[in-house]
Amino acid sequence: MKSLFSLKTEHKYGYIFILPVAAVLGILIIYPLLYGFYISFFQTNLINRWNFVELENYINIFSGNSEFVNSIFVSIKFTSVVVLSHLVLGLLLAVILNKKNLPFKELFRSILMIPWFFPEVVVALLWRWIFNSMYGVFNYLLMNLNIIEDKITWLSSMRGAFFVVVFTAVWKGYPLILVMILAGLQSIPEELYEVAKIDGANSFQTFFYITLPNLRSVLLVSLILDTVWWFKNFPIVWLMTRGGPVNATNVVSIDIYQTAFQSFNFGKASASAVIVFFICLGIAMIYKSMITEEEM
Amino acid sequence: MKLRSNVKIVLFTLVFVLFSIMSVQAVTLEVMDSVIVESPEREALLQIIENFEEENPDITIDYQGVPMNDAYAQIPTLATSGALPDVYLATLDFIGTFEDMGIATDLRDVFSQEYLDGFNQNSLSELTVDGKVLAHPFFVIPMGVLYRIDWFEEKGLTPPETWEEFLDIANELTEDTNGDGSVDRWGFAMLASRDGSGGSRFIQIFRTFGGYELRLNDEGEYVTDVNTPQGRNAFEFFTELNTEHEVVPPGPMEVSYGEALNLMATNKTAMMVTGPHSIGGIIERNPELDGKIGAFPLPMAQDGGKHISVLNTYGHAINPDSDKKEEAAKFLKFLVNDESALLWNEMTGRMPTRTGLLQSPEVQDRPDLAGFVEAMDYAEPLPTVSYYSTIMTDILPSAYQSIIVGQATVEEAAERAEERIISLIEEN
Repeated sequence: MKSLFSLKTEHKYGYIFILPVAAVLGILIIYPLLYGFYISFFQTNLINRWNFVELENYINIFSGNSEFVNSIFVSIKFTSVVVLSHLVLGLLLAVILNKKNLPFKELFRSILMIPWFFPEVVVALLWRWIFNSMYGVFNYLLMNLNIIEDKITWLSSMRGAFFVVVFTAVWKGYPLILVMILAGLQSIPEELYEVAKIDGANSFQTFFYITLPNLRSVLLVSLILDTVWWFKNFPIVWLMTRGGPVNATNVVSIDIYQTAFQSFNFGKASASAVIVFFICLGIAMIYKSMITEEEM
Repeated sequence: MKLRSNVKIVLFTLVFVLFSIMSVQAVTLEVMDSVIVESPEREALLQIIENFEEENPDITIDYQGVPMNDAYAQIPTLATSGALPDVYLATLDFIGTFEDMGIATDLRDVFSQEYLDGFNQNSLSELTVDGKVLAHPFFVIPMGVLYRIDWFEEKGLTPPETWEEFLDIANELTEDTNGDGSVDRWGFAMLASRDGSGGSRFIQIFRTFGGYELRLNDEGEYVTDVNTPQGRNAFEFFTELNTEHEVVPPGPMEVSYGEALNLMATNKTAMMVTGPHSIGGIIERNPELDGKIGAFPLPMAQDGGKHISVLNTYGHAINPDSDKKEEAAKFLKFLVNDESALLWNEMTGRMPTRTGLLQSPEVQDRPDLAGFVEAMDYAEPLPTVSYYSTIMTDILPSAYQSIIVGQATVEEAAERAEERIISLIEEN
């Protein structure tokens, strides 16, 4: 490895300029990652008890009626529905917003971006009250429209709670996908559509043979970023249901939080977090294998 | 000569002034508490702090608020980073964890035995682990049932002794009051949330059926009664209040402490399992209810049950690494002196912990506290083990929630809860 002194001047200064950012990344990301990995081999309360237990924490999280394994399945279910909904909704809205003759296009774009600007905490609390069984405005509207006779206990039933957190996550997250796809649509050469029109292609053919293939790299990037983001999401589910009722919405981030901060079993929580890290790493590697160098 | 003596005078004066400033320089005591985020507790506490700082100008109190349900995630986090405040809240469900982590001073080294003997000893024992007094009691909130005196009088009802009588009353008070065909008032505000607010209340209802979620057997080992007939009866009765009798508003699993107070304050429910601290919160939300709230001890199961209460002592621990233990002790003593404790009780309903004050007419003769005063006669301690919080905030709430949503039968839920508790006992 070349020493810093033997590098060309412009290379040397490049490394010097990225050094502060690298240091911050190292302190804020690399160090906690390695420390968490280290803790996972101990039974510890991080203060006065450090018992080296080798792989016992990893074995425990997969043994018996494992809450962690159940939370992985819930997370997979939650993430799949949310990400798919984001892609479908984002794509649909982006195609509509990309139409040249759409009136008030800028106004619609601004309105559709609004959910993205709210902090997740605010979003969770807002929708939690909207869906509240007793006082929620959603039940009120449904009853006034005679769609339901009795109040629906959205957050007190397993399916209802899962639906509500998914809905909230979809509402919060679709603008990012919308923006990414819209940018991708606007980079597709207009000539391709003209040629398709000349050749007699209809709207569906144009969409499936021109639009989607040209959006492939954007869709893949959106898919991967969205999957990793929502797989480990915490605020929305915690504030709305705390993982309940029972374990209906007990995603993996909540299971880890409860293991750490309610049971004070930091070793086991760290082991769970390491597993989640490798799951997210696996997703990233799948992305890398699906996308070519040219597309990157 | 005259100039030199003038200089001496000026220098001497400067030194004197500097010395005076240094000797009265205020010490800042950091205190973390959860009651200051609630109302009217905040107003009462600020008044007490003001009084303390007037009497002790050399001590400034820096009060930090944290919601109760988040406090015990925050305290260990601060402890691991060495950023614990000088004084912080401590309750019986986490005192075992404090001992395990070594983050609470043994107050026998800070206060005299005579002073500690002046506390209600049940209250003190709730903050004591293996003989070590790990927190200074501030107030107690013995659990009972708050109820609407006016609605009871309307219907000619009297406070129940048994859960069967309680259910009859709840049925009687569940009705459509405005004739629109929908029930708009329910007998009971059930806290079935998956947190300490729901779990702690369920534990006390559970015990009134004759079983214990965790207890020491004759061999000195911890055992659980969750999967005994008494335990299963408790689960069945509690969950059927919603699933069968429907004396509970829809969505009980969304109801934690704040939501239940709202239900009482908005005239939606007639009864609520809670402590005297809720009276102030309800009246704060709806001043028209002043004088209309009463209390009675938790009913008991007809067969083999007993009245139960828990004092739910709330106290303050002193950080072992704090260099202001003397100031902390001064402040904690001030919190529970006669004037402060009676002001606190008058404004919030939370009851004093000093024996003399508990017997005072100001506490004993308050009609809204009468039921809680009676409940104190049935007080029993909760176990102070490090894993108790998991039982209270996770295992038991998961069990009753699984029954309510129909995911498990009573037997299945009780068996699963028993497995998890036994696993915890064995791990520790």
